[in-house]
Amino acid sequence: MITIACYNIKGGVGKTATAVNLSYLAAQGGANTLVWDLDPQGAASFYFRIKPRVKGGTLGLFQRKRELEAAVKATDFPRLDLVPADFSYRNMDLLLEQQRKPGTRLKKLIKPLRDEYHFLFLDCPPSISLVSENIFAAADVLLVPTIPTTLSLRTLQQLVEFCDTEQYRHLKVIPFFSMVDRRKSLHREIIEERPGALKSAPVNYIPYASEVEQMGTRRAPLDTYAHASWAARAYREMWAELQPALLALKRGA
Amino acid sequence: MENRSRATPGSHAPRALSCMQNALIYPLFRTDKLTRWRDRLSSEVGLTADPVDQAVLEFYDSFDWRLYADGKYLEVAGTADSAELRLRRLADRKIQALMPVVLPVPRFPSALATGALREQLEALLDMRALLPLASLRIRRYTLRDEDGEGKTRARVHLEAISLVDADGKRRQLLKRLRLQPLRGYGKAAKRIAGRLEQDYRLQAAGDELFRQALGAAGKQPGDYSSKLDIRLQPDQRADAAVRQVLVTLFDAMQANEAGTIADLDSEFLHDFRVAVRRTRSALGELKHVFPPATLKRFRREFAWLGGLTGEVRDLDVYLLKFDDYRAAVPPGLRDGLEPLRGFLQFKQHEEQSQHLAVQLQGRRYRKLKQQWQTYLASPLPKRPTARDAGKPIGLVAHHRSWRMYRRVMKEGSAITPDSPPPELHELRKSCKKLRYLMEFFQSLYPSGEIRASIKELKQLQDNLGDFQDLDVQIASMRRFAMEMRRRGEYTAAAQQAMDALMKTLEQRMHQARGDFEARFGRFASEENRVHFRQLFHPEEEDRDS
Repeated sequence: MITIACYNIKGGVGKTATAVNLSYLAAQGGANTLVWDLDPQGAASFYFRIKPRVKGGTLGLFQRKRELEAAVKATDFPRLDLVPADFSYRNMDLLLEQQRKPGTRLKKLIKPLRDEYHFLFLDCPPSISLVSENIFAAADVLLVPTIPTTLSLRTLQQLVEFCDTEQYRHLKVIPFFSMVDRRKSLHREIIEERPGALKSAPVNYIPYASEVEQMGTRRAPLDTYAHASWAARAYREMWAELQPALLALKRGA
Repeated sequence: MENRSRATPGSHAPRALSCMQNALIYPLFRTDKLTRWRDRLSSEVGLTADPVDQAVLEFYDSFDWRLYADGKYLEVAGTADSAELRLRRLADRKIQALMPVVLPVPRFPSALATGALREQLEALLDMRALLPLASLRIRRYTLRDEDGEGKTRARVHLEAISLVDADGKRRQLLKRLRLQPLRGYGKAAKRIAGRLEQDYRLQAAGDELFRQALGAAGKQPGDYSSKLDIRLQPDQRADAAVRQVLVTLFDAMQANEAGTIADLDSEFLHDFRVAVRRTRSALGELKHVFPPATLKRFRREFAWLGGLTGEVRDLDVYLLKFDDYRAAVPPGLRDGLEPLRGFLQFKQHEEQSQHLAVQLQGRRYRKLKQQWQTYLASPLPKRPTARDAGKPIGLVAHHRSWRMYRRVMKEGSAITPDSPPPELHELRKSCKKLRYLMEFFQSLYPSGEIRASIKELKQLQDNLGDFQDLDVQIASMRRFAMEMRRRGEYTAAAQQAMDALMKTLEQRMHQARGDFEARFGRFASEENRVHFRQLFHPEEEDRDS
């Protein structure tokens, strides 16, 4: 199983859209795929029309009263399952602190699912916290949607520096451009220049598009209702570009 | 009325709910109207109906059932624009690997995108092609159980399944209702199953569609194997027993004929050719059980048939070995071999389509088949004239095998490091004849012992085979080089690569020649001598002791 965390310190950059759309494409391609909606706001669960509730809550999982597997729900799409969000996730930081080995709890929870799924997408809450440290420990890849603005680049740089330690040596950080508005000259310039950590980012980027915003009303992955749109194509190309790199990562491991 | 058992009222809770991932199958009557079922399920059970759709479901395996033999089967499912290829386990239908595929399904897995499915298929099939076993068309009404959010909790498919015949005609096979539970929503599926079983008296059955489709298409899993399995009795009359052998071989020839003509994969011709060679060997080595006039005519015609298949088989072998050839030259020269590959493919296609396939659809071959068929079906003479025809086969088998074994020993012992290649080639032929006799008459001997002896013979045959094959390959490569030069394909790179290849082949040939003494020494060991004598010549031993 390859664990891909869709993560950014900032919110509103397209993390959930990334997790939902790429996981959908992975499953369409034949891979058994799981999404874990870790954000207490439950946007990914909402997009898949699945109730944001995990029986026993966060504590039930941490105390091993319930296995993560019992919380898995099938989406409406073949091979694509979801662990829904739960409102108790908002206290995950606090609950983690009370556990033994608080830095690797998530990793331990997902371990039993390793043989069942080819890909696990973690839809992560923003901010940098004990939860994010757990995510860094559990993930193979940090997929970082990045809006081409100066502030976003600065946050990305902070993240890259944070992850550049012995502890997260296993972790591959892959930033990519998200919500790109080609009408804005700053966006065009940054995409052209590909500064810092974005030097080796995927060549494909996700445009700012109303079709993506419609995911909120359609409550379905983009490809299912706007297959021909520019944005849907961008996700497909992004996945086609990422997939070989992800599989190579697995073979290398 | 057809067979459909319906549950009695009030009986039991829905079965198989512990493993809710698997669909539950409820057979319907062929006369049932699916639209009527759809309307009832939507109005009475509250399911949401989707528009009707058409799907394709096809099953594949190699001609010799390699997937089936490994407990698997391959299916392609979907519509004309989007389809999935899935390898399933026979026992529980569990998917082992899957991938999206564009129809039609390619004949060889090497044409599929890389991935787990392709790897598994390549390992199982080797050089064999994927052939369709049965092609189904499914008219399908889907109904969904939705919650208040519009999330699907379970699906019900009403399916009318028909089989597409070889001539493209559709024949209705069955109708069924398939209840597909979704993970994490077991309750919804359980509720629907309860309604189906209690209100509509349906009874769940196993999913037997693979077997049902094969049965309807007239395909019998495992009905072809290239291994000989002939059951004889030692006291059977020799002419009757040998006929039984020949009938089996004729069946094998005919089974492989269509695939050879269509060139579906290299193994049809291979098996066809082996059947012809075994037939020739039987006619030659067991000649005293046949009337001489019959023998002469058929030996001539089967020799012609054998000769017909040689060239294409050689080319098939070179193409099968091509990756090996590439590996045999230094990496920098490998691409220089590609003109040779192109040449071999061109030549194979030309020989196959313009010569072999034409002859196999021609008059001479058709006549041979008819006459052979007539001969094999004719009554055995009450008082046979041929010398061995009336003897018990046990005795004839002993005698002929022993004679051939002694010839192998004599020819082998005469070979010295200075003997020229033709002497080894002669020995190889004798080994082959002995091998065929042992295989024809396997059932007359204790199975462990005959198999052990065949294995000993095989290790010698492998060495002789390598030596001769390499000798022939080197000669062929020289010939190909000349032909390629004439065709303007013998580039400097090709020349360099082929020179390097021939050098490696020559080294290997010398290696094989050098190994011969040790291999023959092992075959001729005292232990093996005792074994062969015990098998074929026990009286002699009695007299000795």
